[in-house]
Amino acid sequence: MSGFAAVLRKDLRLELRSGESTLALLALSMLVLVVLVFALGAARVRSVDAAAGALWVAMVFAGMLGANRALLAERDNGAIRGLLLSPLDPSTLYAAKLCAALIFMAVAEVGAVILMVLFFNLDFDASMARLAPILALGAVGFSALATLLSAITGRTRGGDMLLPILAVPIFVPALIAGVKASAAALAGAPFESMGDWLKIMIAFDVLFVSAGYLLFEHVVGGD
Amino acid sequence: MNNPTIRNWLGFSTLALMLASLFMVFDYVPPDAEMGIAQLIFYFHVPLAWVAFASFGLVAIAGIFYLWLGDQLWDDLGYAAAETGMVFCTLMIVAGSIWAKPIWGTWWTWDSRLTMTFILWLMYGGYLMLRASADDTPQVARFGAVIGIVAALDVPIVIVSVRMWRTIHPAVLVTKQGTHGLEDPRMIWTLMVCLAAFTALWAWLLMLRFTQLRTRSRMGRLSSRIAFATAAASDPK
Repeated sequence: MSGFAAVLRKDLRLELRSGESTLALLALSMLVLVVLVFALGAARVRSVDAAAGALWVAMVFAGMLGANRALLAERDNGAIRGLLLSPLDPSTLYAAKLCAALIFMAVAEVGAVILMVLFFNLDFDASMARLAPILALGAVGFSALATLLSAITGRTRGGDMLLPILAVPIFVPALIAGVKASAAALAGAPFESMGDWLKIMIAFDVLFVSAGYLLFEHVVGGD
Repeated sequence: MNNPTIRNWLGFSTLALMLASLFMVFDYVPPDAEMGIAQLIFYFHVPLAWVAFASFGLVAIAGIFYLWLGDQLWDDLGYAAAETGMVFCTLMIVAGSIWAKPIWGTWWTWDSRLTMTFILWLMYGGYLMLRASADDTPQVARFGAVIGIVAALDVPIVIVSVRMWRTIHPAVLVTKQGTHGLEDPRMIWTLMVCLAAFTALWAWLLMLRFTQLRTRSRMGRLSSRIAFATAAASDPK
């Protein structure tokens, strides 16, 4: 457990001193939202469906960038080798990396939601409270998947391009459920009406957090 | 698996079965009363789907065995299955699309089954791109195994989510015939022969590719042994 805390503390301190990942995530989220406002046109910008869709596009693309950056920091100067040589269980390393990615993503998502409300002419009301758990579930699933896959793609040629190619198709079920549930939440629907979507997201999260926890050792170890 | 006699026999039976299936599809079986000649694609489409899904299942099984036992054999099998599966999956989507144009009036629709197949195709496309962008090392073999397992784990959730997505969004397509109504026994026979023919073709292609990959792994081992022996011989100590 202390190893987990040490790695997490290291990642957070690195982030607090440089602000690289969260800043890049926020900037990219903002750009994606701006592009989508122009792409959809002023007429559709008022619809909650468009807002929910834009928010998730921003989340997927910003999250991909964040996962690539997090790995880059470890790859430079062979820092990952040091981590692997330490008496740290690879699964614990995965858990720490996942938590760090989740924290950066949460910060970026708060920013993205504020921008979404402003750009798409929504209101800060009770629907935001219903949106929060949906986004949290999405962030957990995405970070779990991206942390596992970026450890793979980071060590191949053209890895930065490969990550979205591998991660996006696998993320599709959580994406479908997340967009649907978010649109319902923004439209003011009660929680019970989106129960099935939330169940899909919970299933996705449980599956990929455990898959990552069990398989990470095979990805990083052995050489 | 490496026996050339079995492989040749499999090749010849594939040829015979393929000729038989062509004869049955174009001459023996009566075309569907409603859909006409386009319905004949069904006899190729369904076997293609079956072998495509079977090979993607095999990728995951080979991945589990590779991570468990660490034998290069399993990685070669998984890689061969992913490549053949991709070919058959692409053919299935193309054949289905050709069928859908006259029957549904569109090349593509976001029907739950079509979407699911397309997502599967994308996932294994990613798998093959990963293999193509890296050298064949044990490390990449492990990466492939992990991707194969993760993709297979994802399939049930994809199916559930895509089905719910569709039921909430009303269908664009006109009507999907309730059943494939194979009331004529000749239709069932034709389907059976086509299934056998495509399964044989798949097994044959898989075996060819697998044998090739086995040979390549062996050559890799031999060349590293030769390099090791040469280095040892030239070492003055």
